[in-house]
Amino acid sequence: MQNRRDFLNMLCRGTILTGLAATTGILVYRSAKGGNCKLGSTCTNCGKSDSCNLPEATLFRETVWQLDPTKCIQCGRCADNCVMTPSAVKVTHVYAMCGYCDLCGGYLKPDTKNISTAAENQLCPTSAIKRKFVEDPFYQYTIDEPLCIGCAKCVKGCGAFGNGSLQLQVRHDRCVNCNECSIARDCPADAFKRVPVDKPYLLQGI
Amino acid sequence: MKQKIIIISALLLLLALVAFMVKDFFFNKPGDNNPYKFELENIRKGDTSMTAYSETGQIKTSLAEIHGIATDNSGNIYVAGKDGVEVFDASGIAVNKFKIEGIAQSIAVVDNDNLFLGMLDHIEIFDKNGKQISKWNSCGEDAVITSIAVKGNDVFAADAGQKVVYRFDLKGNLINKIGLKDPATGVPGFIIPSPYFDLGIRKDGNLWVVNPGRHSFEKYAFDGTLLTSWTKASMAMEGFCGCCNPSNFAFLNDSLFVTSEKAIERVKVYKTDGSFVCVVATPDQFEEGTKGLDLAVDNQNRILVLDPAKMLVRIFELKKQ
Repeated sequence: MQNRRDFLNMLCRGTILTGLAATTGILVYRSAKGGNCKLGSTCTNCGKSDSCNLPEATLFRETVWQLDPTKCIQCGRCADNCVMTPSAVKVTHVYAMCGYCDLCGGYLKPDTKNISTAAENQLCPTSAIKRKFVEDPFYQYTIDEPLCIGCAKCVKGCGAFGNGSLQLQVRHDRCVNCNECSIARDCPADAFKRVPVDKPYLLQGI
Repeated sequence: MKQKIIIISALLLLLALVAFMVKDFFFNKPGDNNPYKFELENIRKGDTSMTAYSETGQIKTSLAEIHGIATDNSGNIYVAGKDGVEVFDASGIAVNKFKIEGIAQSIAVVDNDNLFLGMLDHIEIFDKNGKQISKWNSCGEDAVITSIAVKGNDVFAADAGQKVVYRFDLKGNLINKIGLKDPATGVPGFIIPSPYFDLGIRKDGNLWVVNPGRHSFEKYAFDGTLLTSWTKASMAMEGFCGCCNPSNFAFLNDSLFVTSEKAIERVKVYKTDGSFVCVVATPDQFEEGTKGLDLAVDNQNRILVLDPAKMLVRIFELKKQ
């Protein structure tokens, strides 16, 4: 004869045992699905292991995320939406295209009164673009990549006032190649796509 | 009673929390408060208080492409472009049209009504009825003749491809080159990143050439001596913006410069010393990305703007007030 307390006790034990059995079953199933992956039962469906049997794995091994500069509208979301801090998206300078302008629309704010390197004149919020005199009237602009946050202000300025030699790209030395890129998910221009690993960059004009 | 008040307060707090979460999830769109947003719309609108001209007319052209505009002493308007030249009277009525072989990038009209056309790498001369009078030799395979001006027996041609101004006689013989970089004489050399390179001769006989990469106007003697220059590099309305501007210019009242720019499309007036006078047309009056707004001024001091994006000659006149 069981009383109510015994009944509840058994119910709790039964629930816990069922939960444990289900969890074990799922982990065993995932481990088997993940092939020889060292992660084994801790598989997170990342698909990154060379021996992974997941369908995503092939896509992962052969492609990486990249941003198409012809579609990019320089909305600034790459700076905030990446899982990396700072963002894995950074500006790249296509030197073959650059006009080496003194009045650089990617370097200077539109309302600047003086063409100088003073911080208040710079368009970049982190001063990631360095201006260096070459010869009259040419200046070279280089990117200090650790400072670049991928906000695209310089890209928009260069495109509006110059020839568009500043372009955003996903840098693969930083990108962790997420299954679902958090920037791509929110990109209003649908500018992100997977590209072959042997052609990981989509720079224009070269 | 006390317990009821606590429950009601807790429910209200819960409702407020749910409302906040709903707003945060569904109504806060990413980018609404983007600190990195770079607005160029205000620049494109321009400051209308500086605008002293208004658009009073438009002339529709019928050529496939339009690149150059010029006027004669009678007020006729000449438009040159792909495979043809079109002529309008001052009221905008088409009075003539003739075919040419190729694309005319520039046009100049001289007193006897001969037309000089810059045909990519060489110059061709036509009479006003469209009969070809002569065809000069090529200036080189890289030549792009973007502007022509004629004064007496001298013909000046701006070559954007080879970054030089040629001085020819009326038969097409080269007399000298102008603007080649020479530190000894202080000639800085032309910086021309894009194929927009204009020149003009004022009625006082001075040759003025745009140096777009330096945002400058340079005044040369006919032998190539640099006489003076002025520079106005700025993103603001008072200056020339971008990598290389102005793209085109014309003289107004024999003393003022009317200039047009690309990137931020705008037409403005400057004094001979480079001081800003007023705005003729603001960027929002043009389609974004319009390039090559060639200019001319007619005998009524109307400013004629060639708009290759809309295929129009747009007429601007000084506002009455």
